Amino acid sequence: MTEPIEVDILLVEDNPDDLELTLHALRREHLANNIFAVRDGEEAVEFLFCTGRFQQRDFDHLPRLVLLDLKLPKLNGLEVLKRVKQDPRTKALPVVVLTSSKEERDLVASYNLGANSYIQKPVDFDRFREIVKSAGLYWMVINQRPLSNPAQASRAASQP
Amino acid sequence: MTQPSKNGNRNQRLHVLLIEDAPSDAEIEIAELRNGGFDVTADVVETADQVRARLGKNSYDVILADYSLPNFRGMDTLEILREKNLYTPLILVTGALSSETAVECVKQGAVDYVMKDNLARLVLSVRRALEDTRLRQERARSHEQLAHKVEELARSNCDLEQFAYVASHDLQEPLRMVAAYTQLLAERYRGKLDITADRYIGYAVEGATRMQALLEDLLAFSRIGRNGVTPTPIDANTAIEEVLKNLAFTLKEHNVTITCNPLPTILADRFQMVQLFQNLIGNAIKFHGKQPPNVTISAEKHGEEWLFSIFDNGIGIAVEHKEFIFKIFQRLHTRAEYPGNGVGLAICKKIVEHNGGRIWVDSELGHGSNFRFTFPAALADKAGKKEDYELSAENLVGR
Repeated sequence: MTEPIEVDILLVEDNPDDLELTLHALRREHLANNIFAVRDGEEAVEFLFCTGRFQQRDFDHLPRLVLLDLKLPKLNGLEVLKRVKQDPRTKALPVVVLTSSKEERDLVASYNLGANSYIQKPVDFDRFREIVKSAGLYWMVINQRPLSNPAQASRAASQP
Repeated sequence: MTQPSKNGNRNQRLHVLLIEDAPSDAEIEIAELRNGGFDVTADVVETADQVRARLGKNSYDVILADYSLPNFRGMDTLEILREKNLYTPLILVTGALSSETAVECVKQGAVDYVMKDNLARLVLSVRRALEDTRLRQERARSHEQLAHKVEELARSNCDLEQFAYVASHDLQEPLRMVAAYTQLLAERYRGKLDITADRYIGYAVEGATRMQALLEDLLAFSRIGRNGVTPTPIDANTAIEEVLKNLAFTLKEHNVTITCNPLPTILADRFQMVQLFQNLIGNAIKFHGKQPPNVTISAEKHGEEWLFSIFDNGIGIAVEHKEFIFKIFQRLHTRAEYPGNGVGLAICKKIVEHNGGRIWVDSELGHGSNFRFTFPAALADKAGKKEDYELSAENLVGR
């Protein structure tokens, strides 16, 4: 899939069946025009930092939200989270961990690395849709973000 | 000389280090041991250097040392043994020795002392020393085996943790797919399928949801006792307060009266204590009888431990089920009568036992239950008791 210039939500998910469910839930609520999905942690990092397969991308067009699964091939979700939150250019980017794990150590590790939210995917699909709807509504509509991209905003904020 | 015999007790090989300056005494001692049934080989020495050299080269079953030699005190051998990290038993064989000195020698590490004018005791003393050594070696061996088992256990705990993680994450993924796509199917093809199909889909989703709950309970169960929990002093009263907050809705719904007597401070993990009380109080409410639930919580000190009691006026438990209910995934009722997975009490048992206590129930069918558990009273004396207070559903939720 070729990526659109403006991506609203970057969805990092390796299971095609799971991916389809999340896409279904997101699209149903019309919360995002452009959802782009990557299938492993490496691809997610390349997309966000405009390297490798995505070196043609413009860094100023960061997505508005990253939905991140934790268990991913190549580079796991926590590692992706770490790289995003350690880099001043991507630090302010909202990352929501969306996973089936409710393990305390995953929760603790995610928040320690700077995750903005942690959501466990419920088994019941109606509930899953509700949760995706609430999260989408919150991060795409209610939550205020700087007009410039988060990287520029964070640079501006650090100046006296 | 070796005297072959079929009796295993006789002619036991004995390698002796004899610290003795009088050759005649040494001979008498060796003869005594041979008479006593030992096949003796002996090295006779009389200076510290000789002792050191011999101990460095040979391994002895026993050391017989004269208390006082011209250039060497027999007891100094103990120092050499410690230096060389040897545990060879040392028996003092000596002439005149005051009983105070003898006792002092034993205190310092000699296993026994034998007076030269009473050498008849020598064989007995040596036999006892050998037996003690054998027992000590056995202990050391079982200690080693224990250490090995502990290591094995740690490894298996680690495996268990890995398993729990897999159960939490990897097993839930496919489960979610089954449930979600069944629901999607139902939605897309509504009207095109018949009523039976809708019911079947309902069952499938219900099954998957229940399995998720089971996986989560199993995970909670396996989590107890995994590494990483440091016990801290917990005021049990505050744990109960937290539980009552968590259960506020249920308390109001069932018009529950909770009477909580002053509880002690114990050494435990806070989250586990809350879980323990919440499971027990939750059960007391869930299995209520015709009367509104009435739950009394109390604790009293019995010797070195606290005895907690959660007493209710519910449906009670038949005698034959008293043990059964603490086993994981065991239930006495159908899910329609009382919901649940049969994990709550198993978790309680694991928490209590992990903290060095016991849990049981005193109950009769139809006459309420008294769940009781003990907890070590490590902090008993420091723990202050709070004033009695009574909480009811009413003042809790501010109705």
